[in-house]
Amino acid sequence: MQFGLINELSTPRPFTAEGQKAVYEHAIEQAVVAEEAGFSSCWCVEHHFLEEYSHSSCPDMFLMAVARATRTIRLGFGIATCVPAIHSPIRWAEKAAFLDVLSGGRVEFGTGRSSTWNELGGFGARIDDTKKSWDEYVRVIPRMWTEERVSFQGSFFAMPERMVLPKPMQKPHPPMWVAITAPGTEVDAAERGLGALILSITDVERNIPRFKAYRDRIRSCEPVGAFVNDQIAVVNWLFCHRDGQYARARGEELVRSFSYTAAQTVEISEAYPSSNYSALGLLGSLRADPSAPDDQKQLASGLCFGDPAQLIDVIQRWEAAGADQLIFLMQSREILPQKELLDSIRLFGREVLPRFASQRSAASGGGQ
Amino acid sequence: MSKALFGSCDPTTLAANAPDVDLGEFAEVKLEQVHIYSALFEIPLHGAMRSLPVGVHPSIPALSCATFWRCPGGPLGAFELAFIGLACRTGIKPRQLVYSAFADTDAACGFFRQRYGFPCRSAKVRQREYYDRVLGSVEMLGKRILEISATGLTPLVGMGSFVKYSAALNFARVPEGVGLVQLEASYEFTRVIRGVPQAVTYDGAALGDATIVPVYPVSGAHAIVNLTLHPTRFVVDPVTPAERGGVRRIERGNAARA
Repeated sequence: MQFGLINELSTPRPFTAEGQKAVYEHAIEQAVVAEEAGFSSCWCVEHHFLEEYSHSSCPDMFLMAVARATRTIRLGFGIATCVPAIHSPIRWAEKAAFLDVLSGGRVEFGTGRSSTWNELGGFGARIDDTKKSWDEYVRVIPRMWTEERVSFQGSFFAMPERMVLPKPMQKPHPPMWVAITAPGTEVDAAERGLGALILSITDVERNIPRFKAYRDRIRSCEPVGAFVNDQIAVVNWLFCHRDGQYARARGEELVRSFSYTAAQTVEISEAYPSSNYSALGLLGSLRADPSAPDDQKQLASGLCFGDPAQLIDVIQRWEAAGADQLIFLMQSREILPQKELLDSIRLFGREVLPRFASQRSAASGGGQ
Repeated sequence: MSKALFGSCDPTTLAANAPDVDLGEFAEVKLEQVHIYSALFEIPLHGAMRSLPVGVHPSIPALSCATFWRCPGGPLGAFELAFIGLACRTGIKPRQLVYSAFADTDAACGFFRQRYGFPCRSAKVRQREYYDRVLGSVEMLGKRILEISATGLTPLVGMGSFVKYSAALNFARVPEGVGLVQLEASYEFTRVIRGVPQAVTYDGAALGDATIVPVYPVSGAHAIVNLTLHPTRFVVDPVTPAERGGVRRIERGNAARA
């Protein structure tokens, strides 16, 4: 079992340049402390126009800042949006390779397609086509990394022969992942030999069928890249404290804040009926049952809020279910003071993480 | 608290003309083969902020939704209904605050006013489907005040053949004072098509809020549904900030007050 952190770069109102800088600097410091504590990866989301929820429009720049402040922690795009109206696949290949070179080969490349009207509507994206365009991106980007010169003619992207530069340091290329929220996307990931970045924060047991479907299907995959990344990483929450009850209460605050900011967004399925978005994305799935507007959704049993012993118990259940990595959200709108958050990381590093150290050293890490 | 996110509308102003709502139990009303056309537009956020009370907070981006029901028969007789709402949230749930509603029969007008607090006025409401477009319109005193079309129609098939309607909330007078009463409906879809909406006629002042202007098309969806109307279950306090949650479950039998 490996552990990472993932940054939404959630920012409280009122929005000021100083406040924004503090959010970014805090997140970089968290990555530094996490590396010291034994965490193996630091991920960063890509979101646009999501007020308070996420001011993380340039994950490549954030990850570069983390790269220069750390030595070993891996740097994950969680995710890079593969939508033509937002990014060209050439730019993603370039940015990821650039970061890989300057970080000494530490990039993990997560892919996805967004699920909000804020973003897809804001960029004028073709909402019915995002799955198909994502499919083209995950096939052409590894070619840009591994082939000297590439030309491509697809339905959503085309380019004449060019040398895409730089090439990444990891050979054959950085591990690739896909964000998984909607049921069935785990099969899309497995078919293409992509790592599963599971973003539905929920109970351990509810994920077991999804893990099994992924494992079953990836055995016969046709990888889009030069190798198969068969890792399952689950996005989770973390707050570790000696007082388990206090940790749980803090955790509830974090989830409440996260859900509240998520509610400010407009999910595609709420605004734009489309066969391409028949299920709610992560944000929508965190809301309580729509038929019961006053019910607080119970915290999922697999969340990592508690004292070290409680967390070891929860993580062992994730491990038994088949997760290879847990990637933790730790902050929302800066409601946790930075010192308390860093203490949580350090306590986790001292008393929880070593219990899983043997498995960590044995885990495979994808590209070399 | 995120003060900047809350609306500034004074609910007492809107409550002055709000219908009295009977929150009592009533038998479910089943309506079959209802044609529902809903068109969403982005509107400027400042317009939404002025028009929403503190008890809900706006969706971002701000949206308005025009909805047309064409019901061929059933317990209320044949009727057509139109209402316009502002996308908002109660707690963390998507809703729409209705600021204008019309129906073309007295029975429908009375039912939706009394049971759910729709600010229904009598008007000529028409929702029609053509080969190349869907059209919804409202005429009052011989003047067309609303006409929304949708063109470029595409059928939605498979798992995506549904529309996720945000439940309507209406200002209403309830026994405790003023509340936002929620439409309770469940939908069984038999066919859905989607197109690009266009506001052909949009008389903001006549529709009840001149500050709300559709500026960017989102989607226009036409569905044929069997729908069931249920008794109201929730009332929202319009003056309790949404982040604190002012939603009250209506006590029925053993149901607990939330």
